[in-house]
Amino acid sequence: MDEILGVFFHEASEKLDEMEAGLMTLEQGGDDQETLNAIFRAAHTIKGSAGVVEMTAIEEFTHVLENLLDRLREGKLQANGDMISVILSACDHIRALLACIASPQSDLEAALAHEGAQLVDSMRAWIDQEGGQNTAQDGEAQASVDARPFGNTGTVEGVSSNPCWHISVRFGRDTFRHGMDPAAFLQRLSECGRLRNVATLADTMPLAEEMDPESCYLGYEIDLEADVEPVTQANLEQVFQFVQDECALCILPPHSPLSEYAALMASLPESLARLTEIFGQSGALTPCASAASLLDNILLETAAGTLTKTVENGPSSSGGATVPGSRIVAAKERTGQDTRLVRVPAEKLDSLIDLVGELVIAGSSAQLLARQSGDGLLTEAMALLSRLLEEVRDASLQLRMVTVGETFKRFQRVVRDTARETGKQIDLELRGGETELDKSVVEKLADPLLHLVRNAIDHGIETAETRLARGKPVTGRVTLNAYHDTGCVVIEVADDGGGLNVERIRAKAVERGLIDTNATLGENDIYNLIFEPGFSTAEQVSNLSGRGVGMDVVKKSILALRGTIDVHSSPGQGTRFVLRLPLTLAMIDGFLVSVGGGAYVIPLDSVVECLELKEGEALGNVLNLRGQPLPFLALRDLFEIGGAAPLRQNVVVVQAGGQRAGIVVDQLQGEYHTVIKPLGNLFRHLRGLAGSSIMGSGDVALIIDVPSLIQLATLAEHDQNAGSTRHRLENERLAATSNP
Amino acid sequence: MSTTALAQRYADLAAGDANQYLTFTSRGEMFAIGILNVKEIIEFGSVTEIPMTPPFIRGVINLRGTVVPVIDLSVRFGSDHTETQRRTCIVILEVREGDEIQDLGIIVDSVSEVLDIPPGEIEPPPSFGARIRTDFIAGMGKVGGRFVVILDIRHVLSVEEMAALAGIAQGSSSEIIEADAT
Repeated sequence: MDEILGVFFHEASEKLDEMEAGLMTLEQGGDDQETLNAIFRAAHTIKGSAGVVEMTAIEEFTHVLENLLDRLREGKLQANGDMISVILSACDHIRALLACIASPQSDLEAALAHEGAQLVDSMRAWIDQEGGQNTAQDGEAQASVDARPFGNTGTVEGVSSNPCWHISVRFGRDTFRHGMDPAAFLQRLSECGRLRNVATLADTMPLAEEMDPESCYLGYEIDLEADVEPVTQANLEQVFQFVQDECALCILPPHSPLSEYAALMASLPESLARLTEIFGQSGALTPCASAASLLDNILLETAAGTLTKTVENGPSSSGGATVPGSRIVAAKERTGQDTRLVRVPAEKLDSLIDLVGELVIAGSSAQLLARQSGDGLLTEAMALLSRLLEEVRDASLQLRMVTVGETFKRFQRVVRDTARETGKQIDLELRGGETELDKSVVEKLADPLLHLVRNAIDHGIETAETRLARGKPVTGRVTLNAYHDTGCVVIEVADDGGGLNVERIRAKAVERGLIDTNATLGENDIYNLIFEPGFSTAEQVSNLSGRGVGMDVVKKSILALRGTIDVHSSPGQGTRFVLRLPLTLAMIDGFLVSVGGGAYVIPLDSVVECLELKEGEALGNVLNLRGQPLPFLALRDLFEIGGAAPLRQNVVVVQAGGQRAGIVVDQLQGEYHTVIKPLGNLFRHLRGLAGSSIMGSGDVALIIDVPSLIQLATLAEHDQNAGSTRHRLENERLAATSNP
Repeated sequence: MSTTALAQRYADLAAGDANQYLTFTSRGEMFAIGILNVKEIIEFGSVTEIPMTPPFIRGVINLRGTVVPVIDLSVRFGSDHTETQRRTCIVILEVREGDEIQDLGIIVDSVSEVLDIPPGEIEPPPSFGARIRTDFIAGMGKVGGRFVVILDIRHVLSVEEMAALAGIAQGSSSEIIEADAT
């Protein structure tokens, strides 16, 4: 059962995401039928699955939501901002209900029940508003009847004399392919009562040469006489729960109003004449008496445009009508989409990638041996094998990469809500959504980005009046942009607001005791103060931000991803946060160097050139590179690697974040393609190294994190200038490791 | 043997495992660790040093494709670093901290044997005198009239604490604050 629940939670949250995305499109004016249908289907699926796992609270709540969506879908209600807000809150409510079921908390439950009741009330208000004398019954077909402007005449107003439940079902084309057997449903129905009339409809079956024997073209009109046990609509629907998404199902209780039969007939693909015959047989309608008035009625309704289905081949053509139900088509499209995606647990992928990584390593050592053996054929075979292995590795690494677009899209909702709360008008611009990033990074990025976006709206964008006064467009703009840059993924969060106020930040920092009154700081240093813990410039502590947790947390989480965050601002123009993130776990094209006995990999993207270090050319730690000063650092000194430097040393010129530097190493080994093995939690505070990799020899090589290495070297030099660093370090090390 | 009897036997075996300890020597003293934490024992091989880490982190090794950190127990206990000899081993342990499971290797002078120490034969650690931090000691096992220190590997190999120390060794002040908070 837990497994089913897990699947349900997963599916429900996905469907909720879909609904939210759809609602956002809707609000931005994308008022097309397909979007509405998609939202409706998502809600319908949630309701259905909730029924399967017997979560009545969710099922009932979603049912009301579904009704409202159905009205929207059929064009009887026009969506407006308030309504979308309520529907969005309803989505949130379902999420909350799910969370509550996942980890029950009694006080929360009560609050949720209250919230749910309120939402149901406001949704009901709209539903009722639309239909006038809404009879508030279930089912989809009669929804169209409710709004019927005409046709309060004649027999249609009457009640069918049919004492049986009438079940009308058209199976989806893929029913057989999904392993379902229509006969089994009949069997299950017969367990609920006696089947009085079963009319098999195969009218949609095409000619033999066009027919696909694996497709299901069947439909049934069934009259079911309930046994002594009371049968409810829900019981009967449950029979079809496995196919409810892909079949067109309509269930009418005994003695249903004739109007409902009329609506049902109108919605079915078969010709009216044929249907009248079937329904007449079942006794639901007396053929001669009612058919004529029914026809009239249906024609009227069609003319009034209240029916979403065309019945053009109804009264006129008496032959086999072949218009399939629109829902069947929709269901088919959807199942088609599902099959293109395979859901795989992340651990399985990880272990596959690990294995492939090892395979590549084993392959390269085998290739080395083959080359040494001098056997030409063997060498050739091994070369081919290695190339294939590398392709396999590239392909499997690609499996973990996801586009940031998904994460970006979620911010539409955030921006909308935040903008409403603050009463500002905001446009969100998304760029570079197709940029790929490792899934684990993307997941950890969502929260920091959320903070940044909310901050941009709350603090960055000015109020409408201020914007007008400054001659800017009233609508503020927040931009999320992602792109690749020298082995990193860069994500920018920018706004076109007032920019950071240097004076205010400075004053606040002094007030909070973060800096000295007389401290001389560059503009950038001042901007960076906002990342200090406990710093907040908002004069008003709002619901959204300004609690002084935020920017420091953002910085911490970006650092935890081994990324960096910078802020750029120009007064009156806006603020831009630039996040640089490594492509962790992604394959790395590296440049292998060695110092002492150890091997180090410098990411190839950041390598500019290599040159020999000549005696007397360097001044201190600065080299003359074609007339330009190039600061360099010696890996041997920085990493405290023992042993004397060889006579010939080399400099690898690297570039990171617009800064160039040289790294002095012993030997250059050449290009090296490998899988990053994380160093693990123990080394998470370690700067300067991005991970490790296993070489063909089985030894471990360390991967250099160029930006943080440069930062480290800068810090080390600062400290050295300050004097006592080495001492302090030694002392701390002793204190930390000695016995108490 | 019926299934219930078989199940009983497995349960007994598991309970038996919980009372078993691997003994080894480090800096000339004998220590014991619960056998359930031990994954494997391997010969001392090539260890890649990680720069800018405290001395008790000896480096990392390649354990069949996984990079595993290796801790020098002797340095961790406050002595000099372990000189490698013919019998020097790396014991690979599984350390669970919160939800995370991490494999760590420890360098020991030699591995001795697996001993059965029933719970009744284990005394609480003395408040001082064992020459290592008291929180490193899970208990004092009585074996053949001698005491053997049973190590509490959750403390000895606390990833949190060691990572914080590694941060200090690199001299970044913000990391120290962070480490104190955790």
